[in-house]
Amino acid sequence: MKEKASKRSRSESMWGYIMIAPTIIGLLVLNIYPFLDTIKLSFSKTLPFGLYELRGVQNYVKMFASAEFWRANMNTIYFCVLTVPIGLFLALVVAVMLNTKIKGRTFFRAVFFLPMVVAPAAVAMVWKWIFNTEYGILNTLLMHHINWITDPNIVIVTCAIVAIWSNIGYDAVLLLSGLQNISQSYYEAASLDGATKLQQFFHITLPMVSPTLFVVLIMRLMSSIKVYDLIYMMIEQSNPALTSAQSLMYLFFRESFVTGDRGLGSAVVIWTVAFIGVVTLVQFWGQKKWVNYEV
Amino acid sequence: MKKLKKAVLLLAVCLIATLIGGCGSGASADGKTHLTFQIWDVNQRDGMQAMCDAYTAQHPDVVIEVQVTSWDEYWTKLEATAISNQMPDIFWMHTNEILKYADYGKIADLTDLYDDVDPGFYQEHFSEVSLKNIQGSDGRYYGVPKDKDTIGLVYNKEMFDQAGVAYPDESWTWDDLCEASQKIYDATGYYGYMAYGDDQLGYWNFVYQNGGSILADNGINGGFNLPATQDAMRFYIDLQKNNWCPDQNYFAETSPGTAFFSGQGAMFFEGDWNILSEMQNYPNMIGKWDVAVLPKCPNPANGDGRASISNGLCYATSPTGKHYETVKDVLRFFGSEEGQRIQGESGAAIPAYIGLEDTWVGVFDQFDYRLNVECFVDMFDYGVQSVNNKFRPTWKPDVSDALLKIYSGQISFEDGMNIMQQAVDEAALED
Repeated sequence: MKEKASKRSRSESMWGYIMIAPTIIGLLVLNIYPFLDTIKLSFSKTLPFGLYELRGVQNYVKMFASAEFWRANMNTIYFCVLTVPIGLFLALVVAVMLNTKIKGRTFFRAVFFLPMVVAPAAVAMVWKWIFNTEYGILNTLLMHHINWITDPNIVIVTCAIVAIWSNIGYDAVLLLSGLQNISQSYYEAASLDGATKLQQFFHITLPMVSPTLFVVLIMRLMSSIKVYDLIYMMIEQSNPALTSAQSLMYLFFRESFVTGDRGLGSAVVIWTVAFIGVVTLVQFWGQKKWVNYEV
Repeated sequence: MKKLKKAVLLLAVCLIATLIGGCGSGASADGKTHLTFQIWDVNQRDGMQAMCDAYTAQHPDVVIEVQVTSWDEYWTKLEATAISNQMPDIFWMHTNEILKYADYGKIADLTDLYDDVDPGFYQEHFSEVSLKNIQGSDGRYYGVPKDKDTIGLVYNKEMFDQAGVAYPDESWTWDDLCEASQKIYDATGYYGYMAYGDDQLGYWNFVYQNGGSILADNGINGGFNLPATQDAMRFYIDLQKNNWCPDQNYFAETSPGTAFFSGQGAMFFEGDWNILSEMQNYPNMIGKWDVAVLPKCPNPANGDGRASISNGLCYATSPTGKHYETVKDVLRFFGSEEGQRIQGESGAAIPAYIGLEDTWVGVFDQFDYRLNVECFVDMFDYGVQSVNNKFRPTWKPDVSDALLKIYSGQISFEDGMNIMQQAVDEAALED
């Protein structure tokens, strides 16, 4: 009897493996192998057509010695500082508003989610028009002549504005799902005790939504560190502010595909992975201080 | 991102594999030889198709499929197919990349292609610049010349009329260019000559007109430390300091071509390969603009002050392709007078074949308003080969960055020149 059961469970688990095989194989071929390959490349001098020679830490030495690399680090951090706190705050505000019983709530939810659905290339196109120095609607409204896209000091702010706008909807929808899990009875009890709406927000909503907020924060920070497509779309190659807007991933793209130095490009990627890893670890450690898992 | 890189490469390989696997497996169902022909310019598809049709009419056992991939994806895709040894049977090759492909044996040495027909074929029918553009680092020919181009001055006739300035002609110098720009700006408020941070369509022309050069004579080191080069570059960069020239910030958002055809400026440099499509795409502007030869340098450090950067594409093939012999025959046809004539008459580009330039010029007879496109052909007399060496992919981004920083005032002109010089020199050292 016992043997029969184990045979059956073995055949069951075999079927399980067969069922997940497509995903696992895809993961191995498309994710794990390229990742290991990237580590290898970061220690090699790459030649065209996939050839390479192992060269030890040469790429890393070159990378740490390059001013461009540190500049890209600063740009990336600056971008994160601009987008993550403001983006999350606005997303939370939007989520709270969408959680109240206002007219056309579904409509507004769809509207805020729209940027997620629109192709990033189209988003960048439209925003480039808005920010255009000569004909842009923003400068026309402000009655100023601001070089939104070409001034080295402003360009990251410009990119941050677009990034925040693009992500609000997605973050808000995630936060909204967190908000909807909060039982109404807390609010009823609080209002009976005479708590104001603002007090309710800080003492009920915020702690109760903090697990979701934490997840959104981690995701948003990761994707902000990895920002590439937005900058690629917004900043033309002929833009004098290019080096002031270059993020780590953009530097990787340029080194790997424009200059053709995939070894150095891979080193930048590995650095970025390590960077994200450390940042995420710090967050997991820090969450103990503010994330509330008790319902 | 790191995943994306590999994934895209892999996907491209799979894609090409299915494409080629589907039709390249020797004798296919219909018993014909199926060849693929990869290009990047959709405007030239019809011309290329016409050329292929002419060949297949003579050789019914061959079918050639023209495939277009945009320039941005073209090189990633081609490299992926080269790695997996599944390159298209025939493809366009650009001077940017030819040295890399040739030096790594990824494209076939075609020096002997015409030996059975006419051993002196290349030298007889193609210019020296054209032949330089198909050479690998070893000096052998790795492609069949396809076309050749020059850079010309495009100008807005209406603005010249309004300002009462005579149209540009052969006698024009840099001084005339500036003077006319000033007058046009003063009279109309529109920009004059729009000088922007570009090499082939910008400062390279000025540098060679002044007798300078971007690379030293050995073709390895930079020429940015030469006084003639520096003088020309200073002149060119400083053009943006004039009130009649927009600054680089402007050009980062609006290309000179866009500015010109929306009536914002009076002049810019343009390659001949864009003229036909501009004629077709801006019907409102027909009759209001024309082209002229580039203005010359009034007091060159050496030479006669004339130059126009001349580049050229070629047809190439893989040395390990399955249908190598058939492909060679097709390439022979593409390089022949007949093949090149069809290309020229389609308006695709100026044929590389000497004596057929008029076929391209003739295409412009279809318009009631005839541009003076002959000037592009005239400039082949003093065309300068587009700047290239094996290390160009490495130094080019650094040189462009430095140029942009000079424009934005982040570094001084002298520092910028030093950075450019270093970038070129060090690229060669790193190898």
